[in-house]
Amino acid sequence: VPLHALAQTINVSGKVTMVNSDEGIPGVSVVEKGSVNGTVTDINGQYTFEVSATGTIQFSFVGFKTQEIPVNGLSSVNVVMEEDFQQLDQVVVTGYQSQRKADLTGAVSVIDVDEIVSTPSANPIKSLQGHVPGMFVTSDGSPSGSGTTIRIRGIGTLNNNDPLYVIDGVPTKAGMHELNPNDIESIQVLKDASSASIYGSRAANGVIIVTTKKGKKGKIQVNLNAYSNISWYDNKIDVMNAEQYGSALWRSLVNTGTDPNSNNLSYQFDWNGDLANPSLNKILVPKFLDANQTMKASDTDWFDEVSQTSVSQSYDLSVSNGTDKGSYLFSLGYLDNQGIIKTTEFTRVSARMNSNYELADGKVVIGENFSFNQTNEVNIPGGVMDGAVRAVPLIPVHTVDGIGWGGPVGGMNDRQNPVRILQNNKQNDYDYIRLFGNFFVDVEPVKNLKFRSSLGIDYGIYDALNSQLSYSSGYLKNETNMVTNNHSSNKKIVWSNTLSYEYEVDNHRFDIMAGSEFYKQKDESFWASAQDFAVEDEDYMYLDAATGKKDNGGSAAEYALMSYFGKMNYVYNDKYLASATLRYDGSSRFGNNNQYGLFPAFSVGWRINQEDFIKDNLKSVSNLKLRFGWGKTGNQEIDNNATYSLYQTNYGGGDPTWRSPNGTAYDMYGQGTGTLPSGYSVVQTGNDDLKWETTIQTNLGIDFGLFDQKLFGGVDYFFKSTKDILILPGYIGAIGEGGSRWVNGASMENEGLEVLVGYRGSLKEEFKFEIAANFATYSNKITKLPLAVVNDYGGNGSDDNILNRPINSMYGYVADGLFRTQEELDASAEQPGKGLGRIRFADLDNNGVVDDADRTWIGNPHPDFTYGLNISAEFKGFDLTMFFQGIAGIDVINDMKRQGDFWSVDDAGSNKGTRLLNAWTPENSNSSIPALTNTDANWEGRFSTYYVENGGYMKLRTAQLGYSFPKSVIDRLKLSKLRLYVSGQNLWTIKSKKFTGLDPENPSFGYPNPVMITTGVNVAF
Amino acid sequence: NELDMGPKALLGDDQVGGADNVDGFVTAAYSSLGNDHYDHPFSLWPFGNVRSDDAYKGGSGPADIQDFHFIETFSNVTPNFGELDALWYNYYIAISRANEALNQLALLSEEEYPEKKVREGEMRFLRGYQYFQLKIMFKYIPYIDETVPDSEYENISNVALSNDELWEKIAADFQFAIDNLPVSKTDIGRADKFAAQAMLAKTRLYQAYEQDDDNNVTNINTGKLEEVVSLANEVLNNSPYDLEADFAYNFLPGDYENGKESIFAVQYSTDDGTMHGRLNFGDVLAVPMGLGCCDFHKPSQNLVNAYRTSADGLPEFDTYNQSNLDFAANNVDPRIDHTIATPGHMWKYDQNLLYEESWNRSPDVYGVHASLKENVSPDCPCFVNIDPFYGNSKNRILVRYADVMLWKAEALIELGRQAEALELINRIRERAQASTELLKFANGSYMGNYLVGIYVDGVNCNWTQDFARKALRWERRLEFAMEGSRYFDLVRWGIAKETMDKYFMKEKERISYYEGSSVTKGRDEYLPIPQKQINFSKGLYQQNVGY
Repeated sequence: VPLHALAQTINVSGKVTMVNSDEGIPGVSVVEKGSVNGTVTDINGQYTFEVSATGTIQFSFVGFKTQEIPVNGLSSVNVVMEEDFQQLDQVVVTGYQSQRKADLTGAVSVIDVDEIVSTPSANPIKSLQGHVPGMFVTSDGSPSGSGTTIRIRGIGTLNNNDPLYVIDGVPTKAGMHELNPNDIESIQVLKDASSASIYGSRAANGVIIVTTKKGKKGKIQVNLNAYSNISWYDNKIDVMNAEQYGSALWRSLVNTGTDPNSNNLSYQFDWNGDLANPSLNKILVPKFLDANQTMKASDTDWFDEVSQTSVSQSYDLSVSNGTDKGSYLFSLGYLDNQGIIKTTEFTRVSARMNSNYELADGKVVIGENFSFNQTNEVNIPGGVMDGAVRAVPLIPVHTVDGIGWGGPVGGMNDRQNPVRILQNNKQNDYDYIRLFGNFFVDVEPVKNLKFRSSLGIDYGIYDALNSQLSYSSGYLKNETNMVTNNHSSNKKIVWSNTLSYEYEVDNHRFDIMAGSEFYKQKDESFWASAQDFAVEDEDYMYLDAATGKKDNGGSAAEYALMSYFGKMNYVYNDKYLASATLRYDGSSRFGNNNQYGLFPAFSVGWRINQEDFIKDNLKSVSNLKLRFGWGKTGNQEIDNNATYSLYQTNYGGGDPTWRSPNGTAYDMYGQGTGTLPSGYSVVQTGNDDLKWETTIQTNLGIDFGLFDQKLFGGVDYFFKSTKDILILPGYIGAIGEGGSRWVNGASMENEGLEVLVGYRGSLKEEFKFEIAANFATYSNKITKLPLAVVNDYGGNGSDDNILNRPINSMYGYVADGLFRTQEELDASAEQPGKGLGRIRFADLDNNGVVDDADRTWIGNPHPDFTYGLNISAEFKGFDLTMFFQGIAGIDVINDMKRQGDFWSVDDAGSNKGTRLLNAWTPENSNSSIPALTNTDANWEGRFSTYYVENGGYMKLRTAQLGYSFPKSVIDRLKLSKLRLYVSGQNLWTIKSKKFTGLDPENPSFGYPNPVMITTGVNVAF
Repeated sequence: NELDMGPKALLGDDQVGGADNVDGFVTAAYSSLGNDHYDHPFSLWPFGNVRSDDAYKGGSGPADIQDFHFIETFSNVTPNFGELDALWYNYYIAISRANEALNQLALLSEEEYPEKKVREGEMRFLRGYQYFQLKIMFKYIPYIDETVPDSEYENISNVALSNDELWEKIAADFQFAIDNLPVSKTDIGRADKFAAQAMLAKTRLYQAYEQDDDNNVTNINTGKLEEVVSLANEVLNNSPYDLEADFAYNFLPGDYENGKESIFAVQYSTDDGTMHGRLNFGDVLAVPMGLGCCDFHKPSQNLVNAYRTSADGLPEFDTYNQSNLDFAANNVDPRIDHTIATPGHMWKYDQNLLYEESWNRSPDVYGVHASLKENVSPDCPCFVNIDPFYGNSKNRILVRYADVMLWKAEALIELGRQAEALELINRIRERAQASTELLKFANGSYMGNYLVGIYVDGVNCNWTQDFARKALRWERRLEFAMEGSRYFDLVRWGIAKETMDKYFMKEKERISYYEGSSVTKGRDEYLPIPQKQINFSKGLYQQNVGY
């Protein structure tokens, strides 16, 4: 008898649909239980395959509950899939392998990628702000989002605190704005050491794992997403106009006892001439600021002149398919973000090709994930935001001919016309091409024994052509024009090999993995410049066309890591979980004495809800898991050359404009020109004993779910201590040059708590909603510092220092209000320059003199807590999302106050904020803003509590309303999805009353955060 | 080993030694003479001139580099001033380069490297020079030579050596240089024996005025003064150096540089393959607004008035400051027009470029004069725009022949041998007298009524020690005004407080911010030891008295 005759097989077909819909679900895995026999549903959710007549069919699809239906001889089996809110079967990538979410024992946050994509940003990581408890994201409003910083679980080290990104298995530290957010399939944040330590030496600041989309089996899927938005600068700094500036000038001069008409800022005053009792009648300005009558006295609003309402757009198209023999995904994206500061712009073209091919009946899979990204950006040049505050409003943007530039005259500050800086810089974009991805082969020679080899590349090429145009702008001018070409490349390769084996017997499940990884990075750069171009035309200004001085330079850097690692996971009866990892890392950055470091970790979990006493008694508990983890991670973020004693030839000594040069060349022959003899200087002193900085972290967590996961959440407590922190301490000046020496020194602790709670619910079937809130807090403290640097982080230099305080704590004077009466003045401590309307600084040591000894700790830049609140709802095709994010109890330094509250703390020939119009005068004696004066004789520019403010805020980051067209409409259009939406970003901010600036997120002069309104469309067919 | 990767574009310590490379360390040590910056300038203009009665800070107003304003007005001067820390550090960088070169030289024999002794002499000259500058700024400084191992640097206190011991250390470097340097140098930028003799004379002169712990001058050591005289004699009598025929030549670029009066100078250069040239970055802020930026370092009205001369061409010691100098009505020493720009007068001897009042940035605050010596004509190829500043590559003379003459004269006077000093001072005055050739307008008329008389004992003066001392001090002021030495002279003579308080009394009528300014004796003679350095020393360094 032929064998097949024994196995009774029949042809079964059917359709898989969703609850409350007759829409088919494509790509559902349909497998005969206990065999490799199976198929997937097609575009309409239909399937057909041969199956044993007595078998059971298993239907599974990510995000839905798996269903098992006995065949029982039926030829047609239709299934209605239910969404699985528990998502415990969801598979997450956790480091060289994937795990069921239910089996996780570490502190891993799994990001809902849909939430991220709903916040349009060039940088997908920026969109994570507020979504992950324990992950603190700060960003500015620059069009590329490249100014985004991520801190996971506090500040762990005194050097680089950036997390490690692992994209499709390829590690990288930066450049997330070069990634197309629409390509992202999943993001996991590994926060604790037990989960991150498999990444060893680079994992101490946390690891963010990103996987990109793959083709799904079933049918060709085409997705099209497009949006367009407008942004504007909503919180412009309120600076004085020409009239206000004149009145403040007059006030400051009469307050100082100077004839106000003796100023050199082009103002004249009609006043009573009585310094004892001054009153101002009229402010007079000349028609022209300069003798040549080219600059008309104006009333320029410099913030209006440098900013714009910007328009941005993004288009993204992806095509994917999957068959039994493999899958592919192709995507193409285009993004053009104009900045709200004129001429700044970021564009990105991204292409991705992810594919894999199954060979030998699926025993061998080869594939690749590969992206090509080209970014182009015009950055904001230096001096624009600061310049827009400082530029005196009398200065016109242009001279009377409408072409030349206005600029400072007389006693005005020597800063550039900010509009000129922007316009003369608009051609100075850079191009960055990044090739990123991996090529892999997976082999499964024996069932459950898997070998994977992956070669990752990350290759970046940077090119910039920077032309500096000649100009004349008031008394500032430069007749030299110049072009500088910059080219740099960085090549990173990572080759990893892993072997893993899964084994299941009775109630025991094991998997074990071992591997090695080699990483190498080489950066090379060179530049060339030339001066003097006859014509300032973009098409002409290339190096060949120059007739003047030429210069060039270049260098390189290289480092490598060699690593060996292993991991073991064990699950007993789906109740008890255990995991252990070990990694052994070597880095070229360390000397021979300590090249390798060992990073172990372990974790255990207890799924309490699987216990009978819960199952039997507390049926509402759908998930309850206790987790504990311990692990060690490393940090090697030091200079590539840190261990060496080095000398350099530094011919020119660097740009001398704002700092002293440290050149080694000298005109020994007194010729005054020509090539000079040059020598050597010491760069640094080596340290062969440098070793790994290590962080030990303990994590205790609990995950819970109630009422079939309608209410869900988790709490994590962590304690993190870092020792042997690598620092490049400042050194005593007497050493002179070459005193720099990397050492292992400091220790630091972070302790914190993270909470996530959510509720999903529905009212009737049409109205569904979800609320998810997160909260995180941490405290940081420096526990040890080498004696050599104990005074480097604030303190009085002798007995008061940063030890046992948070890093970056602020140290300064206490501003104790203003002197309002003569009695107060007479009764106060000796304080040079004190007077009525001046700041009184507290005499903390009560010795009758205000001096250095009266400084204390006046600010903590770590927030008390951070939080996020996400609310989403769906109703009959409409969807609404609102996302609030905030931080509380953070001290920020409001630098703008130096310009906004004082006439002379910064330079007096500059414009200032309008707050100082309310400064103290004998008549306005209740003001808390010090009297205006032409000299800061009371030294109010000293760092004091006057500048430290509460930077807490809550912002409505995103509000989005979408509408998905009903099936009847999209069927007619031959589409599977059509959704339109409108959303707003940064719509609303609540800030502390004590914050006197505009945006506590951006208290200095960073790129302003815009308000943004976006409209977009998502189409699938 | 796949983890072996060497540094790029850098040298390891095993690659730099030997006779072929040692010149590089010597060159780098010279190079540091020009590695300064306008907020910590090696010319010491904020500390020697602005802090004295010679100059105002300038710039857009008092808040423009406010720490210098505080130094000018002797108020709110704290050890936390970044400018002081940077100056301190940059001097020690220069010292460490000399020490590094000495260590590299020590590894070589004279057979391997025949110039060994000469180069050692040069390095010790440079080191002595840097320590001298630090000494007059901060009084008590940690002294580190090439024999100190790296690990010991932070264990050496700034008060490990007494005031006098520090002078002896500095003197020893110059003495070594004298013993080993040639009388004629092969390369113009190097130090020679005469430069070392001059600097040792200067050191002994400062050392001669002995100070107590409160910076009071308690005694003038005649033995040291004798040394000054004999060292100065070596330079004045045996060297090829001499006074320039015209005072102007010391402050002009190009062919005038490294003239016979320049015993040792910083060699600046331009079009030399560096970004902007190796320019005099310390003095870039002194360019008036009409020509560039930023109008700092402004001669005081008091200094202007000091150039007034009487009918017989002598200084008006007692009445000079009662009214402001009037060029139309008064006689003046011609050095005023070499030193100070006055509206309507030529800028750097250019008949087609008259200095205008409108070039001043804040005339209400800082008056209408500008400093000329460190400046150049805007037409000079050595004038370079380093946007927004303007630098120049004109050499800055560190030791000038005229200085040696007046050190000798000073020593003689304090030794009671004022008669011998008379001739020296008169030679300086005669040269001033003769320095009018470049001071004529295009129409041939002089910019001022130049009149300089020489002192004739018993005829126009009574050349007593007291009078000679007064004449010497006056002469130093006129000759070296705006060259960075005035306040240090006042401290050496022990008259900083009386001179400055008298100056403030009158000058505050012209400059409002001087209201309330006064020198505090036992503090303001020196600047505070930078707090950062005290912190780095973990309290080993001691702060100067009064701070």
